[in-house]
Amino acid sequence: MIETQQKPILEIVDLSVAFKELMAVNKVSFTVFQGDITAIIGPNGAGKTTLSKLTTGLLKPLGGEIWFKQQKLNNLLPHSIAALGITQVFQDIKLFENMSVLENIMVGCHVWTRSGFLTSGLREMHARVEEKTIRDTAWDKLCLVGLQEKASDYPSSLSWGQQRLIGMARALAANPELLFLDEPYGGLRANEIEKLSHLVLTLQKQGLTIIIVDHLLDCVMSIANRVIFLVDGKKVTEGTPSEIEQNELIRHTYMGNALSRGIRRKSEQ
Amino acid sequence: MEISKVVEILKRQQSTKILLLLCILFFMPLLNNLYLNTIVISIGFYSIVTMGFILLMGFAGQISLGQAIFFGLGAYISGILAVKYDISPWLTLVLATVTTGCIAMLLGRAIFRLRGLIVGGITLALNLVFFNLVQSMSGITGGATGMMNIPQLPSGGFMSYSLFIYYVVWLSVILLLVFSLNLVNSRVGRALKAMNLFSGGSDVTAQVMGINIMKYKAGIFAVSAMFASLAGSIYAHYISCIEPATFGVSYSVMIAIMAILGGLSSPWGALLGAALIVGITELLREIIPLFTGGTTGAYELIAYGFILMATLRYLPSGMISVFNRLTKLGDKSSTEVISP
Repeated sequence: MIETQQKPILEIVDLSVAFKELMAVNKVSFTVFQGDITAIIGPNGAGKTTLSKLTTGLLKPLGGEIWFKQQKLNNLLPHSIAALGITQVFQDIKLFENMSVLENIMVGCHVWTRSGFLTSGLREMHARVEEKTIRDTAWDKLCLVGLQEKASDYPSSLSWGQQRLIGMARALAANPELLFLDEPYGGLRANEIEKLSHLVLTLQKQGLTIIIVDHLLDCVMSIANRVIFLVDGKKVTEGTPSEIEQNELIRHTYMGNALSRGIRRKSEQ
Repeated sequence: MEISKVVEILKRQQSTKILLLLCILFFMPLLNNLYLNTIVISIGFYSIVTMGFILLMGFAGQISLGQAIFFGLGAYISGILAVKYDISPWLTLVLATVTTGCIAMLLGRAIFRLRGLIVGGITLALNLVFFNLVQSMSGITGGATGMMNIPQLPSGGFMSYSLFIYYVVWLSVILLLVFSLNLVNSRVGRALKAMNLFSGGSDVTAQVMGINIMKYKAGIFAVSAMFASLAGSIYAHYISCIEPATFGVSYSVMIAIMAILGGLSSPWGALLGAALIVGITELLREIIPLFTGGTTGAYELIAYGFILMATLRYLPSGMISVFNRLTKLGDKSSTEVISP
């Protein structure tokens, strides 16, 4: 875990959204600081994924505000939010099945490149130079996740863990300032979890702000700087991992088994 | 294999195919067969329109049964500008193509707020609207009887007009093919494929990756319309008389069949599909009268229906998949290609 400077990058203020009569997110407020790894945890149905969709523009809030580097995001479309520097790796990854692994990552570069229909069709010099930059960037991100040999393969031939890493590489190709990871540890084997955690910490060292939405506490608690705990769409508490672990109510009603597993895993190492 | 080497191999493969096509097309007129020339010109027109359709439906996943609208718009705008305003036919090609592109861009922004099959229904309806509009505006378009005396494209008199049009059409095919291949293998092509729900894309993920879905849908709709419009403009100056019946729904359906038969995954599919359908049509015109005592009529349509069903059942990727397999057999290094 790396200590970071306290400069806010994302501010959520009284954010709410409802699905019919159900308040999926109910007046949630918190701040994410630049360079932090912030974990949003809670049981299933707590509103974690809904919160990430609100921030990336896939859902429009019923009330409240979302501020990213002093820019209000409420009325922006997802592609405009992406252009500001926020990107997401989905829980179900959603790699593009009709493109190779390398091409998938190259899509990540779309947000900071400019070639349009005419320049691309005519293969003007600017477009050719940009295409080479895109390809080189994508290759670098592929090397970062250690899957160079899969460049020509298609997503359907990859394991779940490999797909998740490619999803990360694609998101990183966008050069984001804030990266949302939605349930990144789901379905991974132990060695893959370790690889992913190591990657997340490496990215933090490079200055990236990361929000991890997950319910697997023993994975996120060891790397997060800050933890926000949601239940039934409401923020129950927030604090450092050690503060959260010492919260008796949370330990008793939610964290017991997971905390025990986490403690056992640390003692076995 | 290094990525740069794979890219080079891919480029060489495409360049080889284009050079081969150029050679065939350059030498074909030397056979001095007017009937063959006419058939190949027809294939050329269909190839251009179908290529636009493949970009729209094959790559972007947007259903449209309105290619006939833009083919007709190109023909009529060109014809009206040349006949009524005495504008140079070459200039009318440009003006018609640009005007059609602008109309398609505006239409696209309205249509693609909706998703899925309803878009196909709307374009079908627009096709019917266009057909009836052209018929009713007889003062401008000549109505049901059509527009006549559309001037030829100035050819300089160095060759027969038919041969001149042959080169104009096929030069256009090749230039648009190169344009299309560049487009699909670019940032724009990846954006289109990313939002194609029919072939494994995801428009939600595409948006989160920074892709403006509406911009690309409207943009590729305009590009495909411009392809069809250019073909229509050249067609008008080739045939010299145009009538609404040419630009009906059946033309749009024919284009869709050509694209599906040829293959939606590559612009080359347009040439394959057009060549096969035109070839089969000519064959049927020779064979069917032997059984029906002289008429072909609806039997061609029946044949197209069977071709479509057989393609969807046995070769859903189209003839291009067979062609790709054959060309890969002779090149071991192409087994590591990045994209199909």
